[in-house]
Amino acid sequence: MSELIQLGNPNQRPKQLRPEDVKLNFSEQGVKEIEALISHYPNKKACILPGLWLAQREYGGYLSGDAIAEVAYRLERSFAEVQGVATFYSLYNSVHAPGKHKIEVCTCLCCHVNGAWNLRDYLVTKLGIRHGETTADGMFTLEEVECLNTCDKAPAVQVGSKYYGPVTEAQLDALLEELRNSEESTVVQYANDIVQVQLRAGEV
Amino acid sequence: MAEYKLLLEHTNDPKFRTLEGYQATGGYTALKKALTMERSVIVDSIKIAGLRGRGGAGAPAFLKWGGMPKEKKTEHYLICNADEGEPGTFKDKELLENCPFLLVEGMTLGGYTVQGDVGYIYIRGEFMDGAKALRKAIDEAYANNLLGKNILGTGFNFDLQIHMGAGSYECGEETALMSSLMGERGMPRLKFPSAPFPVVSGVFEKPTLIHNVESYCNIPFIVNNGPEWFASLGASTKNSRGTKLFSVSGHVNKPGNYEIEFGTPLKELLELAGGVRGGKLKACIPGGSSMPIITPEDVEVAIIGYEEMGAVKSMVGSGGCMFFNEHTDIVKLAWRTAQFYANESCGKCTPCREGTRWMVQILERICKGNGRPGDIDLLKQVASQIDGRSFCPLGDAAAWPIMAMMRVFPHEFEYYIEHGHSMVDSVPSLVGVP
Ligand SMILES: Cc1cc2nc3c(=O)[nH]c(=O)nc-3n(C[C@H](O)[C@H](O)[C@H](O)COP(=O)(O)O)c2cc1C
Ligand code: SF4
Ligand code: FES
Repeated sequence: MSELIQLGNPNQRPKQLRPEDVKLNFSEQGVKEIEALISHYPNKKACILPGLWLAQREYGGYLSGDAIAEVAYRLERSFAEVQGVATFYSLYNSVHAPGKHKIEVCTCLCCHVNGAWNLRDYLVTKLGIRHGETTADGMFTLEEVECLNTCDKAPAVQVGSKYYGPVTEAQLDALLEELRNSEESTVVQYANDIVQVQLRAGEV
Repeated sequence: MAEYKLLLEHTNDPKFRTLEGYQATGGYTALKKALTMERSVIVDSIKIAGLRGRGGAGAPAFLKWGGMPKEKKTEHYLICNADEGEPGTFKDKELLENCPFLLVEGMTLGGYTVQGDVGYIYIRGEFMDGAKALRKAIDEAYANNLLGKNILGTGFNFDLQIHMGAGSYECGEETALMSSLMGERGMPRLKFPSAPFPVVSGVFEKPTLIHNVESYCNIPFIVNNGPEWFASLGASTKNSRGTKLFSVSGHVNKPGNYEIEFGTPLKELLELAGGVRGGKLKACIPGGSSMPIITPEDVEVAIIGYEEMGAVKSMVGSGGCMFFNEHTDIVKLAWRTAQFYANESCGKCTPCREGTRWMVQILERICKGNGRPGDIDLLKQVASQIDGRSFCPLGDAAAWPIMAMMRVFPHEFEYYIEHGHSMVDSVPSLVGVP
């Protein structure tokens, strides 16, 4: 009986990863950051969400199996548990590797009545990809998303940490051009921004 | 009555986002005053002020403050719900971006009152600008002994941490938010009476005070100006006090956030936002996508107040007020609304997980011109079987707007099914959707 209770206790899940099963790829900076983040919470489990953001940056925007395993190992949780969390949230790229830039077009209520589908169609034609797909050159991923809560600027588009709106087709053209020529991946940059904003000045 | 700027008074002033500028407008006098007050006196003033939670449900705030254990046996936590996700709402975002110190002071004051140790601000992952502004404010507060150890030499310790969400509307629901904060999938937990209130056992199974951003931002004003003054705002309503932020969007000329006193007529909000654009007013969703839709006649008579909105069968909700002009196709709006809830359902319980998808399927075939004669009844049946039978209020919130759209605009649904196309000469952008 007592064993059953133990198994049911989410804080005592068995099957932690063994060191020989994990590749540790976090940078030195990343290791310091995850330690600082862990100190914000009373236990390591609570650091799974911040840890996944950090891994998303460290692994170039994609939470591969290795990335999830590393988070699980560093937080002393099982692989399945961390993978379960990663797949629940839409901002973690845990299913496919995204392109260098993820273009999120809001088609929710206010944008829906303010021309969002035109924008969506325009992008589908221009990039030759549909919702959830990535261009062959790995440059862009297109996503139709729910309300970005910037409805005063409908139709709204988000790329990385930046909001755009109300967006016209001409502005989209300019934006795509700008992104195509930018060095950095906005997907990675965004994950980094999220990590940084959770850390106090001078903490790492 | 017109706009009443309390929280939003200084939003256009960039200095308000620095500690110096914030203090120049009276910032942190409330905290200093509170640190000399008895804790129970502060709770009493929240009660006298009549503050109600601004997150959607409008529960009296003092119940939570007064419910926190008086005798401290373990850690106490505070949470700020900044996971604003309700379609049509963008007020918390503006508060984070432009008034970060109001939130920091409000939470610190709350921390003192309920003997909190750590406050977690759960910010929606998309809100980078807001999170950065808040980060700056928190760092400045730490540097000036307004957070951290021995705050202002009073022996009170309090930390504030930012926790970023990762894209899930359901995490705005308070028990799901706590699951998420504890490192789990964002699924809700049992609520009272099946489980204790969060003030008894909340995040990390410790007493927890959870409020919306706007609720915390009101606290400094209550302490500074006195609860009686606060309660005089909105005195014309039955039980709504203070001001309320409304995010006005849709087909209006000047979309944006507007702060009004409770008791203001809804039509004044529309005037503030510059009136309807692109045609006559057809419909309004007054409090975010979960709230029932109302007609232009209702907009004429509605008074903004938690009880008052009941007269037009709707609610204040989170304050995401959307106006739609005459070219809006209500059936397609219903389809898109159902789609939102189907996408955001966490999947924990059957009525919501399956029911929302059924609603989408039925509405989709109607929108594609393949509607069947019994579809309206079927849709009503599905909606009524979600409402009141789901594990958390997201299910109800999915059923209400669809039921209301069918109740208020039944002829549009009937016409669509009979003719295979909409009776509205919809704007071109909506032809061919879905
Ligand atoms: C599906 C769902 C989504 C919600 N989303 C939010 C939200 O984004 N922000 C918020 O403050 N409250 C949200 N709430 C309400 C919270 O559960 C909770 O009532 C609120 O945070 C309490 O704060 P208050 O007392 O200040 O209103 C949501 C509720 C439900 C059922
Ligand atoms: S109603 Fe059920 S399935 Fe829907 S979000 Fe709540 S718990 Fe999840
Ligand atoms: S509906 Fe698109 S930002 Fe809100």
